[in-house]
Amino acid sequence: MAGRVIVVTSGKGGVGKTTTVANIGTGLALQQKKVVMIDTDIGLRNLDVVMGMESGIIYDVVDLAEGECRSTRQSLVRNRRFKNLFLLPASQTRNKDAITPEQMREIVDELKEEFDYVLIDCPAGIERGFDNAVAAASEAIVVTIPEVPAVRDADRIIGLWLNAKEKDKEKKEPVLVLNRLRPDMVRKEEMLGVDDINHTLAIKLLGIIPEDEEIIIATNKGEPVILNQHSRAGEAFKNIVRRLEGETVPFMSFDTGIIGRFWNMLHGK
Amino acid sequence: MLLSATKSLLSDQLVFKGLKQGLTLFIPEEKSFAHWLEILDLQLKQAKNFFQGGAILVEIGERKLSPSEHGDLKRLLAKYRMTIKSFNPLEKKRFNPWPREIQKKEKQAEVLFFKGTVRSGQRLENDGHIVIKGDVNPGGEVVASGDIIILGALRGIAHAGARGNLQAEIIALTISPVQLRIAHIFSRTPEGREERQGPEIAHIKGEKIVVQRL
Ligand SMILES: Nc1ncnc2c1ncn2[C@@H]1O[C@H](COP(=O)(O)OP(=O)(O)OP(=O)(O)O)[C@@H](O)[C@H]1O
Ligand SMILES: [Mg+2]
Repeated sequence: MAGRVIVVTSGKGGVGKTTTVANIGTGLALQQKKVVMIDTDIGLRNLDVVMGMESGIIYDVVDLAEGECRSTRQSLVRNRRFKNLFLLPASQTRNKDAITPEQMREIVDELKEEFDYVLIDCPAGIERGFDNAVAAASEAIVVTIPEVPAVRDADRIIGLWLNAKEKDKEKKEPVLVLNRLRPDMVRKEEMLGVDDINHTLAIKLLGIIPEDEEIIIATNKGEPVILNQHSRAGEAFKNIVRRLEGETVPFMSFDTGIIGRFWNMLHGK
Repeated sequence: MLLSATKSLLSDQLVFKGLKQGLTLFIPEEKSFAHWLEILDLQLKQAKNFFQGGAILVEIGERKLSPSEHGDLKRLLAKYRMTIKSFNPLEKKRFNPWPREIQKKEKQAEVLFFKGTVRSGQRLENDGHIVIKGDVNPGGEVVASGDIIILGALRGIAHAGARGNLQAEIIALTISPVQLRIAHIFSRTPEGREERQGPEIAHIKGEKIVVQRL
């Protein structure tokens, strides 16, 4: 059976796509899944750094598309700790036009035969880089943060995904990850709440990641936060991985009283 | 001379009517076509802002237009940024050139029912009414030649009566759009207006769009 191909996208930059890919990838590898992560942010690659896998890079996705390396396998970087976790890095010196959606589709079609999961880290924006990242995916995780412009962009991205879904019957309903939530601010009504966002975007919620400085520490160490047993964000990512695998996992209570509402939202729509 | 001309122009008036096919100009079969063009020019000049823009229908009954008469009408309407969508909408009832399936589809197209969210960057359009079961998000756009009914929140752009129908209405469970438009009249939500609960209706009163509890 072919593996699942999931793109992580957002429209707005800097909301946590790369962080999400790194953590979900690592979490799935922890569950013995065979995973490859593709960085399609050509020219601004950083999934390799976040994963601490920069030093293993020889070839990149553009080399692969242009036939510079002998095999697809040769272009992949293997994680030192998890032998079932791989990375296909972005090129740092080229731009997004260096690769076409068709080339991406070819690469992914080959990878999904061998891997359980192909995770695609999408660049910000809605241009060529987005087209490349989305072309080959059949599932989409839309990441947003509780700020109006980010939610607006997520809405636009969901619309674009749904348009693509009309033409490509393999594509499924998109799901939402809400990142950098600060329950203290929501409580004081200084930040959009989960139900505001959920109501606006009207798609299924896959997970909520709290604001957590451990993520910044982890990012700088090159070791995803999901490996940190004491991090709330790490725990939230573990829940997301379990939900992806089909388990029903209640949403973490960041704040008493909200949990029931999260739950209802998930099951109400 | 001038006086008598004005007098006769006043007694003759051309009628615009909002049919279900769209805004329709009625040109009587009697008198010369040139005569009616003169009147039309005058009427449009007076109502400059009223009938601006858009494609209209023209009902000419049994009258046959020469190519030059057709051209004159087209040019005159173009002056007021109008175009001719088609002639004789009434005649269709008497003689329908379309096969049955197409007739059926046209009928269904009069009301567009849309289930889901109209998202940022999306535009929903219908020559007829639009009913939406869902929200219209900021950055989303809905355009109808008839009414717009939203069983949800309107937070984007809505344009009803897009072919010039001033009677068109916009109804939504809450209305907090960036921009409302009915026919050629615009309105923006005043800054700081609180989102009210309960259905609201937007329609034209006088020269302005008003939003009220339904
Ligand atoms: N929940 C969180 N708590 C604290 N910091 C976070 C959180 N999520 C992400 N960050 C930080 O935000 C920054 C941006 O994250 P990331 O690089 O994952 O975003 P991105 O969407 O991939 O950005 P780009 O659009 O530039 O590719 C990083 O410095 C990351 O460490
Ligand atoms: Mg990134």
